[in-house]
Amino acid sequence: MADRLPMVDKLWFILPEVALFLGVVVIFIMGLSHSKRVRDMLPMITCLSLAVAFGLTWWVYEGSRGQTLLSVNPNLMLMPMVGKYVKMSACAIGIILAMVSVGSVDRRLEAAVAAGHLPFDPIRANRGEFYAFFLLSLMGVMLTCNANDLIWLFLALELTSLPTYIMVAISRPPRVAQEAAVKYFFLGAMATAIFLYGFALLYGSTGTMILTEMQRAFAAQAKADVVNSFGIIGMILAMLGICFKIAAAPMHFYAADVYEGAAAPVTAFLAFVPKTAGMVAIILLLTTLGWSGHPSTGLPEPIMTTLWMIAVLTMTLGNLGALLQRSVKRILAYSSIAHSGYMLIGVIAGPANNGINAVLFYLLVYGIMNTAAFAVLAALERRGQEIETMEDLAGLRIKHPGMAVVMAIASGSLLGVPPLLGFFAKLYLFIAGIQAGQIVLVVIAGLNTAISAWYYLGLVTLPIMAKPSAQSETIVRSPFPWPRIAGIVTAVAVVVLPLFLGPLIRASQAATTPASLTTGVTISK
Amino acid sequence: MLAVDLNAYIPVGILVLMAIIFVIVNLAATHVLGPKRHGAEKDIAYESGMNPIGTARKRFNVRFYILAMTFLVFDVEIIFLYPWAVTFTKLAPQSDEATLFLGRIMFFIATSILAYIYAWRKGVFRWD
Repeated sequence: MADRLPMVDKLWFILPEVALFLGVVVIFIMGLSHSKRVRDMLPMITCLSLAVAFGLTWWVYEGSRGQTLLSVNPNLMLMPMVGKYVKMSACAIGIILAMVSVGSVDRRLEAAVAAGHLPFDPIRANRGEFYAFFLLSLMGVMLTCNANDLIWLFLALELTSLPTYIMVAISRPPRVAQEAAVKYFFLGAMATAIFLYGFALLYGSTGTMILTEMQRAFAAQAKADVVNSFGIIGMILAMLGICFKIAAAPMHFYAADVYEGAAAPVTAFLAFVPKTAGMVAIILLLTTLGWSGHPSTGLPEPIMTTLWMIAVLTMTLGNLGALLQRSVKRILAYSSIAHSGYMLIGVIAGPANNGINAVLFYLLVYGIMNTAAFAVLAALERRGQEIETMEDLAGLRIKHPGMAVVMAIASGSLLGVPPLLGFFAKLYLFIAGIQAGQIVLVVIAGLNTAISAWYYLGLVTLPIMAKPSAQSETIVRSPFPWPRIAGIVTAVAVVVLPLFLGPLIRASQAATTPASLTTGVTISK
Repeated sequence: MLAVDLNAYIPVGILVLMAIIFVIVNLAATHVLGPKRHGAEKDIAYESGMNPIGTARKRFNVRFYILAMTFLVFDVEIIFLYPWAVTFTKLAPQSDEATLFLGRIMFFIATSILAYIYAWRKGVFRWD
């Protein structure tokens, strides 16, 4: 009996998440400790649990038990090996993000306690909660990869999003952070309602919650030449709702305000973590529908058109929006929207054209280069406030040469300047698009890259070539070295990783190899 | 070919229609038929038979809400424990399934206890 208690078999694959959960529990309690030394250990414990989860992921998937379970029960998960790739990249980037966030939460409170103005009161402290929610949200991403039914998928997506609402609110004291959090929460709740409704329609049209069975149900419907249109509508609604998580049009409006309101480390987190979860969810859902209906790409026509429009709108609106901004965080927010648009090219291209692994690879690369840019913002400050506008960055090379170079490398990579990592990731996506015959889409993406050069080149040249402005003279290093270290590590990764392109791309290909993807169902029109 | 049998949804449509009509008819009927008598006694707010004192816009200490949230943890826990207890008696004793069920609920209770410890350390129960 292969599927007797499949839950027990699945538990094996969430061991990394269990490790993170133990970390969460320890951090929750440690954050309330009266000893400053214990409280200062929180980021370290966060990194430690992520490192353990990283190792466990490899062991769980590559070990003999994991391999046996997967071969005995192929219906355990829809795309089992995606988990290994996404979980390992989420843990690795999570460690960097935790480094960026050192010293950002509770800074004033800790300073007042250290100076003896205030006794330490656990009810005012937020640091433990911040790092615990940090790990919980990463846990959500990791659980999304293991989802094999709609309820699990829904809960995992919510586990990714709910902690981020609170992280935005407690990331820094100004009211603008709370305003951002409330906006983010209400729009997020609306998006959740939309994709939940989509899930309900998907269940109604296939009669099952389980993704692998859903795939068979859609295949049977396609064979009989009657695909239930409620299934298609449900799929479109689910995709629109998940567009909120990846900050894609038409659900992208929140991004600029929320990214601006949150502290820089949280913004970096928002740009990577929910996006990864959303992309994995979209890929899982589309896989149930199969990839062999459209002559070149495999998706049924209505889904194809929707995705195409979302992709074009997302990249165009993102890049045009960024042109109008002066605040660095808002520029990076719009750039995050635009990058979601690029990634959708890979989703449209589908697994037959290496599209899905291009998306997975791009997610990792985007996480690295975007975190580098935000690490610069987190590492510099003016009178304890974050730096905000482009003018603040002008002539950074004089006083902070390291950070100026990191910013230039990160922006260059986000633009896709050839020797850097971002170029190869983008190239890989565009090749997938061309292989799928989506020439128009790739041309639009190319034009968008040209538009984005305007503001990315601004971010490259301002710190390195411009004269220091009156504003940038007053900028000092943050007293915490870790954001700087994270920035330098990620910038070095952007420069060095292209040398290891082969292994990285092979890893992303291995994530999508099992046949469940390419032997999709045939849906004729 | 994408197709769906919309006829199957006719009963749902009728139900929705009836629900809407029911609401409108009831509201309209009360408005038209209901007797309306006003007076000093009749117009005061209903407070379960007590005479209302002061304004309703009184502010409560935030501790009440925090305590209420802590109560919610245990409230929800009991809601989950009840169906679990009913199902658990039906499982074969010492089978794999029973062990799994027991493990799950133990994990669940452990998380609630941790939540309790967290609330206690956070100072939720301190009332000064």
